[in-house]
Amino acid sequence: MKGLLIRLLAAMGLVPAGRYRALRRAMDEMKADAQSWRSKAHRAEARCEKLLAENKRQTQAAERTQQQAVDYNAMQERLTAAERDLVAAREQLMAVDVKLDILEGAANVLDVRTRAAITRQHSGTSASS
Amino acid sequence: MTPLTGTNGEPLVSLVLTGRNDGYGGDFAGRFHRALRFNHRQLVSRGVPHEIVFVEWAPPREAPLLFDRVFDAVPDLDRRVCTWYVVDPQYQQALSLNPRVEYLEFFAKNVGIRRARGRFVLTTNCDVYMGRRVLDALTDGSLRPRVLYRAPRHDLDLPAETAIVDWDVLEDPGNLAGPAHVLKPPYMGSATGDFVLLDRESFHEIRGFNEVYRVARIGIDRNVLVKALSSGYAIEDIGGPVYHENHEGSYRLNPAAYAGREADAPWGDRRWHSSGVSYVNPPGWGLAPAPARQVVHGCWNIDFSWDAVPKMVDLRRVVLPVARHGRPHPGMYVKKH
Repeated sequence: MKGLLIRLLAAMGLVPAGRYRALRRAMDEMKADAQSWRSKAHRAEARCEKLLAENKRQTQAAERTQQQAVDYNAMQERLTAAERDLVAAREQLMAVDVKLDILEGAANVLDVRTRAAITRQHSGTSASS
Repeated sequence: MTPLTGTNGEPLVSLVLTGRNDGYGGDFAGRFHRALRFNHRQLVSRGVPHEIVFVEWAPPREAPLLFDRVFDAVPDLDRRVCTWYVVDPQYQQALSLNPRVEYLEFFAKNVGIRRARGRFVLTTNCDVYMGRRVLDALTDGSLRPRVLYRAPRHDLDLPAETAIVDWDVLEDPGNLAGPAHVLKPPYMGSATGDFVLLDRESFHEIRGFNEVYRVARIGIDRNVLVKALSSGYAIEDIGGPVYHENHEGSYRLNPAAYAGREADAPWGDRRWHSSGVSYVNPPGWGLAPAPARQVVHGCWNIDFSWDAVPKMVDLRRVVLPVARHGRPHPGMYVKKH
């Protein structure tokens, strides 16, 4: 009898109150789920955007690092060349220093000899006058 | 009896020494005679064909020549192995580029190197005794050409009454004056003037010690090592020491005596770049063009001639050393002022 009544109500588009409440609960839960999934989807979308942005930033950073590596290598080469030039310059400086020592020594010796010669000359002149 | 010459008519080794009777460092003649007696005896006892080339550089007029006394002072010295060169004092004056440097020691040594006949030439000093390993190397035929041999120096404080020096005296640790010198690659420098052994041909190839830089005496010995490395020679420790009798006035005893007034030092300014530059001596190095006049057998006067005096300033002959493949890069810049 109960089954017949339920079928008749169903034919009219009606359900028993208990069934209605259960369905209503299920629907509410599904709505809540949908809402939850929607917010998850929003969060995922936001995270995705963030990751894409991060990816872009990382890509740019990688490009910058790559450029820096190229710059570093170039700088390293310039540094090596500069060190080579510095060694060469120091060597030249040493040679110049040594040559200056010789010139200074010669100048001093010639100065002493010139003074001695002039003194002799003068004493000779005084003696003869 | 020691053969005077080797199989090819030349001594194995020429000992090139220089000095004069000026009382340098106290009893110069006494130290010289003791060392000469010892070294000659050792070479004779081991049968090493050798000659002693002595350059009496610019001797004082008021004192007798060392040559006049040496055979009385060292009676067993064989006159036939000695060749004496007495160099006119005018050379010292004409060559000097620093009046405070009163003894152009390495110029004097070049006079001996240029005239030495030995297959190997050992330039050393009058108060240096050869050690056992040095004598072994001269005896066992292990010396090689194009290798400049060095020996570390052990300084000795000998008792004042020491008349005869023998192995017991030399090897007595109680006589050691401080720690022994250590030779460090690549130059193996340190007291280089006391021991440079090289085959004669190579010595001639590099034209001896630096004659271009006559402003200092100190560092000229080290500079020959730079020249040798730059010329592609090896520098090796011979494996044992030579012994040096300490005396007053030596650089070793008071290297900082002229700190702050280096230009006044009797050995010149020790800070010059002896490790950083090389040289090319003129072809007449060692006073080769100087007229030599035999006074008595075995003794020659090197008379003065301007023809033998190199230019006062010849800057092209100061050159940079060459870095040889696989060898250390020579040169180290030392700031002077």
